[in-house]
Amino acid sequence: MNDVKGTTMTTDPRDAEVLHRLLDEAFAPYPVTPESLDLKQEMRANLAARAAELRDAGTAPDAAARQALAEVGDIGALLDEESASTATTWVSEQRRHRVRPKPAFVVRTVLIAAALVAVLAVLVLGALGLPAAGSLALAAIPIAGLLVGWLVADGLRQETTTNYPFSRPVAIGFGIAAGLLVVALGAASRLLAGFEAGWLVVAAIALVASIALFTYLGVTRTNRHKPWVLRMTQAQPPIADRFEKDPAAAARFGIYTMLLWVSAIAAFLVLSFTIGWAWSWIALLLGWVVWFLVLTRMLFAPSTTK
Amino acid sequence: MNENSGGVDDVLAADLLRGHTDTIVLGVLRRGDSYGFEIFRAIRQTTGGAYEIKEATLYASYRRLEKDGLAEAYWGDETQGGRRKYYRITDAGRAVYRRNVDAWMLTRDVIDSLLDLKK
Repeated sequence: MNDVKGTTMTTDPRDAEVLHRLLDEAFAPYPVTPESLDLKQEMRANLAARAAELRDAGTAPDAAARQALAEVGDIGALLDEESASTATTWVSEQRRHRVRPKPAFVVRTVLIAAALVAVLAVLVLGALGLPAAGSLALAAIPIAGLLVGWLVADGLRQETTTNYPFSRPVAIGFGIAAGLLVVALGAASRLLAGFEAGWLVVAAIALVASIALFTYLGVTRTNRHKPWVLRMTQAQPPIADRFEKDPAAAARFGIYTMLLWVSAIAAFLVLSFTIGWAWSWIALLLGWVVWFLVLTRMLFAPSTTK
Repeated sequence: MNENSGGVDDVLAADLLRGHTDTIVLGVLRRGDSYGFEIFRAIRQTTGGAYEIKEATLYASYRRLEKDGLAEAYWGDETQGGRRKYYRITDAGRAVYRRNVDAWMLTRDVIDSLLDLKK
């Protein structure tokens, strides 16, 4: 009956009424804000639980509610505590909270990456059909998965300037998921080279397990940002990009885009009919590269207006 | 029931503890989502009733934790009486808890040796 933890809490309607009145009195001196209403609502349930506890200990109903509220302490300090925002910028805060990467972590990452490159080289040679690398390539797949998983988990365990590190089990979970993905890709690459269908099963199972694990971990994650990041993002609207601030730049970019692609496609057609298909695609590739360079230049140009 | 019922030691202990309110709350939330009175009771029970943190202090702590992204709040779906506001620890909260516990253990050792408690 007096189990406040369970759902069957004794809430006498009369009790609730007394609490209602007492809370109204307690909050009367303060301006009504979303925060104060929220606190009032939160306190109501907690006070009811405490009053029920007191009542069961033998206190008279009316006195129980009164005592419960009195025990809470000074709520004025809570309500007066309106966040006084100080003039800080993102850059100054970032500098103040800067976290340097640990040297051991950097060395570890470089070494693992080097090992990974070697393993990938074996894998590629095996896929190309180099006989010496063939048997090595078999072992290379799980090793590549292990190395990638290690890299991912180790990276997630690091504290950054803006984020806290992932907890150990979660980081290991992400590492396993990433490793499985690599194993799936490795198995699929064997398939491309025309190996037996057993690889298909391995690839499919690893891929599904990886996706499932990634999804589970992704869905269950909660905030990892540091307090200063949250404060800054609340205080400042996101920075508008160049095109939003300067419509003329956007219009210019539109014209460049059209010119660029018309030229690239024309060059592609001309080359296709003269030199042939083997090389004409380079025109499109070049167009794509230049287009991205132009986009970057337009978006992140150093501002000339002072 | 009554916080620091007199005596220098009680006041000191209360001050020392107050500095760790957020970590204490995070420690309770680490065991599972909880609401105000349940957290209050958990703390009271752990100390055997010898010490309790004022609820106003706890409310301030919840707001701080929420603002700093160390805990998330959500309303329960109780139909009877007032709805409860539950708190859930976030990954950032777990990280801060770990770090504060480590810092505390280090501090405790240092103070112990400074006060010459451990021979």
